[in-house]
Amino acid sequence: MSSSRAHIAFIAPAVILMTAILIVPVFVAALLSFTDYSLGNSSFNWVGWENYQDLLNRSSYRKMFSASLTYMIIVVPFSVLLGLGAALLISSIKFGGELYKTIFFLPVMATLLAMAFAWEFTLDPIVGLANKVLKNGCDINWLYSFLTGSWLGQDPGLSWYGASCDGNMPNWLGNKNYAMGTIAFIGIWQAFGFNMVLYLAGLTGVPREYYSAAAIDGADSAWERFKLVTWPMLGPTHVFVVTITSIRSFQVFDTVEALTRGGPSKSTYVMVYAMFEKGIKQNLLGMGSAITIVFLAFVLILTITQVYFVNKKVHYS
Amino acid sequence: MTNITSWFSDFFKHAVLLLGAFIVIVPFYLMLSFSLKSPAEIQSISGGFLGSQKMMTDNRCIKEGKPRASCTMRPFVYNYTAAFNEAPLLRYLFNGLIVTLSIFVIQVLIALPCAYALAKLKFWGRDVVFGLVIFCLLIPVHAIALPLYIILAKAGLTNTYAALVIPWTISVFGIFLMRQFFKTVPDELIDAARMDGMTEFSIVWKVMLPTAIPALLAFAIFSVVAHWNDYYWPRIVITGDRDLMTPPLGLRMFKSDMDGNEYGPMMAAATIIVAPLVVAFLLAQRKFIEGITLTGFK
Repeated sequence: MSSSRAHIAFIAPAVILMTAILIVPVFVAALLSFTDYSLGNSSFNWVGWENYQDLLNRSSYRKMFSASLTYMIIVVPFSVLLGLGAALLISSIKFGGELYKTIFFLPVMATLLAMAFAWEFTLDPIVGLANKVLKNGCDINWLYSFLTGSWLGQDPGLSWYGASCDGNMPNWLGNKNYAMGTIAFIGIWQAFGFNMVLYLAGLTGVPREYYSAAAIDGADSAWERFKLVTWPMLGPTHVFVVTITSIRSFQVFDTVEALTRGGPSKSTYVMVYAMFEKGIKQNLLGMGSAITIVFLAFVLILTITQVYFVNKKVHYS
Repeated sequence: MTNITSWFSDFFKHAVLLLGAFIVIVPFYLMLSFSLKSPAEIQSISGGFLGSQKMMTDNRCIKEGKPRASCTMRPFVYNYTAAFNEAPLLRYLFNGLIVTLSIFVIQVLIALPCAYALAKLKFWGRDVVFGLVIFCLLIPVHAIALPLYIILAKAGLTNTYAALVIPWTISVFGIFLMRQFFKTVPDELIDAARMDGMTEFSIVWKVMLPTAIPALLAFAIFSVVAHWNDYYWPRIVITGDRDLMTPPLGLRMFKSDMDGNEYGPMMAAATIIVAPLVVAFLLAQRKFIEGITLTGFK
C-alpha cells in the first residue's frame, strides 16, 4: 500500500461537498423548523415547537398527512402486486416477453411531467378519450348490463356506472372524490414497470430444482408451487421492492404540482407538495422546514425498517 | 397438463398482458396523436390516430398580417412549428443537455477519485468517510431542498445554471457504486502501474477509469435520465427566467400560458421532450434497465 498523501486530495472534494450540500442543510432545516424565518426579513424569531404543534393541530396539515398516507396505501400494494404479476406472467410465456417488458418499462423512462399532461388530456372531461370510451360503453347493451349489474336484476341507476351513464362521467382530476385516486393511478402506471424488472431479476435467482422438489412433495397446481417456492424465495426482493416503492411514493410531487396543486379541497395535498407550497411559494420557510423534518423522519423509519428486515434475512428457506 | 389446457393458459396470459400493455400505451398514444391532429379534430375526438391531415389555416398567423399561403399548412406541421415558435423549445432542450451533462461530468470528477481512495488506499479515517457516504445515501433530495434554496438565494444564485447543477455535484450513490466496482479490480493491476512510476493521480484516470467504463455507463444512464426528467429542483430555483428552463419546467410554462385550444402544439412539445430518452431506451434496452434499476440500491 502506498504511503503517499494522495488520498487527501482524492477524498477532500467529496467530503467537503457531502458536508456542505447534504449534512449541513439537514441541520439547518432542523434549526429553521423552530423559527418563523422568511427570505427577505432581516431577522426571525424562535418559536419553539409552534410549527410542529400546527402540524398536529391544523386541519390542513392533517389533510396533508392523510393525503400522503392515502397515496402510499393505494400505490404501494397495487404497483408491487402488478409488478410481481407482470414478472410472473412474462417469465412463464414462450414468446413476446421482451416486448411486454419494454412496454411496461416505458413509463419509468419517460419524463413524468410530460406524461402527466398526456394523462390529463386523456382524462379531460371534454376532449378526453377515457370518458368518451366510458360514455360509448353505455350504449353497448351487454357491457352496460354487465357493469351495472342489471343482468343480475339490479337497478342500473344504483350502480356507479349506471349513474354515470345517466348523468355525466366523472371529472377525474377536478372532483375531490376522484382526484386522489386519479393521481395514484398515474403513480401506479409509472411505478409498476420498475418493480416488474426487480421481480424478474429476483425470479432468475429461484433454483429450478425447488419446483421439482415441491412437485414431489405433492404441490400439483401452479398456485401451490407459487405459495411453496416462488413467494418465499422472493423474500429479499419483496422487502426491497416494498421499501423502495414506499419511499418513492412518499416523494410524489410532479403529478400533484402539475395537475391538481394539492386540490380539490386539499384532497391531494401530499407532503412534498406542502413543503414546496409553504416554503417556496408562501415563503414560510420555518413551517416548510418543520414539514421537511417530519418527512425526513418518515423516510428514515422506512429505510431502517428495510435494513432490519434485510438483516433478519427474509429467507424462509 | 394437456396441450389444450396449456394452450388455453398461454392464451389467457397473453390476453392479460396485452390488456396491461394497452393501458400503459394509452397516454403515449394520445400524446403522439394530439401532436399530429388539428384543433378541430382534437376537440371533437375524431380523425383516428393520424387525423385527416387536411390543410388548415392558422388564424393567429393571419392576424399577425402574414400572407394566407404561408399560414396554411398540414396540422402536424402546424403543431410542431408552433411548439418550437411559441415556446423557446430549442433553448429548453439545450439547457437540458447542458445541465444533465455538466452534472454527470462533475459527479464523475468528484466521485471517481474518492471511490478509488475508499476501495484501494489504506488511510486513517477511511471507515469514517465510508460511513459518511452510507449515511448520506439515506438523505432524500427533498429533505435538503429548502435550506439549499435559502443558501442559493442568499448567494444570489437562483436563476442561474449553477443553481441547477450545484446540489447534484456530489453523488454519494456514485461514490458507493464505483467503490464497490473498484473493490473487484485486482490489486496487481495497481501495483504494476505504481512500479511503472505512475502517480496515484494518473492511476485514477489512466488505469481505473478505463476499467470502470461499463459501471460508468450504467451510472451515466441513471444520472442523465434522472436529471433530464427532474422537475422538482428546477421548479424551485428557476423562477421566471425562461432562458434557463429545463425541458419539463419549460413544458409546464407552456401549459400555463396555453389558451384552451393548443393541445396539439403542447403535445408536440411533450413528444419532443420525451422522445430522446425513449428512443435511446428502445435502442439500448438492457443497458437502460440496468442503469435505472441501479436506483434500487439507493
